[in-house]
Amino acid sequence: MKTINPLHLIVLLLIILLFLFIQLSGAKDELLQTQETYKETLTLTADLKGLNEIYSDQKGVRKAIEMILKQHALKTANIEQSIGNSSMIISSESMDKTALNSLMSKILNGSYNVHKFTIKRLSDTKANFTMEIKW
Amino acid sequence: MFLKFNQKINTIFLDTDSKDFFITEKVNVILSPSLYWVKKVSLPVKYAREVKPLIPSLFEDILPEGNYNYFTYKKEDHFFIFAYEDKVILDTLKEKGIAAQHVNNVYFAQSEFDSISNPLKINEDKSIYIKDDLVILLPSAWMQTEEELDIETVSLSKYFIRLNQFGHIVESKSLYTLMIILALIISIVSVEYFIVNDKITKTQSLRDELFVRNNLKSTMIQNRSMLKEYSTLHKRQMLFREYTSYILSISLTPKQSLSELGLKGNKLLVSFTGVSKDSEADILKILKSKGIKYTSNLKENTLEIEISL
Repeated sequence: MKTINPLHLIVLLLIILLFLFIQLSGAKDELLQTQETYKETLTLTADLKGLNEIYSDQKGVRKAIEMILKQHALKTANIEQSIGNSSMIISSESMDKTALNSLMSKILNGSYNVHKFTIKRLSDTKANFTMEIKW
Repeated sequence: MFLKFNQKINTIFLDTDSKDFFITEKVNVILSPSLYWVKKVSLPVKYAREVKPLIPSLFEDILPEGNYNYFTYKKEDHFFIFAYEDKVILDTLKEKGIAAQHVNNVYFAQSEFDSISNPLKINEDKSIYIKDDLVILLPSAWMQTEEELDIETVSLSKYFIRLNQFGHIVESKSLYTLMIILALIISIVSVEYFIVNDKITKTQSLRDELFVRNNLKSTMIQNRSMLKEYSTLHKRQMLFREYTSYILSISLTPKQSLSELGLKGNKLLVSFTGVSKDSEADILKILKSKGIKYTSNLKENTLEIEISL
């Protein structure tokens, strides 16, 4: 017969439909995976960006420490600064306890990567202080 | 290839009493009046397509039980309407040795012999004849004719039907409805597939944009590793601050003093002087109460504590 058998057409349509369903199912799985990866990247980016801004912002850290050291209470403490490529060292051979308290509270309440530090008691009112802050 | 298209297709006349055919090529089939029902009607409509829906009711009273298909064509002011059963014709074809795939077009004797002037013998017993514009089948004995049907001289009309092999099992209408439904579902699924793929592409583009905008490393492994480093650093810094605040909050006696506080690597180092064996526990109790892991060493009234961050 010249005409195409409708049942053959229906079988063909069913095969096409099955093929499309399989393709769609695969595509949906892929979409789910892509969305999950996107969400993970979004969270990772936010965390990474936040932490990077805190711990790797050289200019920001330097500026903040310099601002702290300019405070009146610390001006008389003879605090020395030494700035390297990846860190800065602040130290004082002898500083009084008021200045030390002020400096410590500012640094410990701020977000800096304190890599090393030492406070040695010299007398009831004086102490030796060294701190290395990295970026 | 062109030769094939130009090939002449033979024509046969099919009657229930026809001799067996041995067909190996496509043929056109003219149906004997014994294989269909025909009526000549006058209706107040212009086109054959308007008549088609009315045919079942026009045959209602005369057709025996069966699964019929209908056909019509217009001649002058009248319509010739036909009722036929695909299965009966297909069974007859099969019985006479003609496979369905060898059938080209199927014609009605009515449309092909409507202008014959004399009765024509189709076999020894039967003849076709026109009465009241209808081609009818009569016993040859009644007509006393010797003229036989020469099928080769017939010039076929434009009125032909196609047989539906499964018409008796499922109605064509149901099959076409099913096909339309399937086609619709296929369209919907295809559209959904394209939408999902588009979403995948867009999500991937957004992710790529995130990488570029935030100067991320090219692979997630590198970025995860970087985040892990930063997280470890952040955790250590938080612990350093927390533990330092605990150390500075320890109550000391006038004889005791904090002589040294330092951070080296992952260790927080603390020294207290003026600590006796009895008062050592008082200093360490705050560390114990906070669950801090430490090691301590009391030597010559100096208590050295090492806390891991």
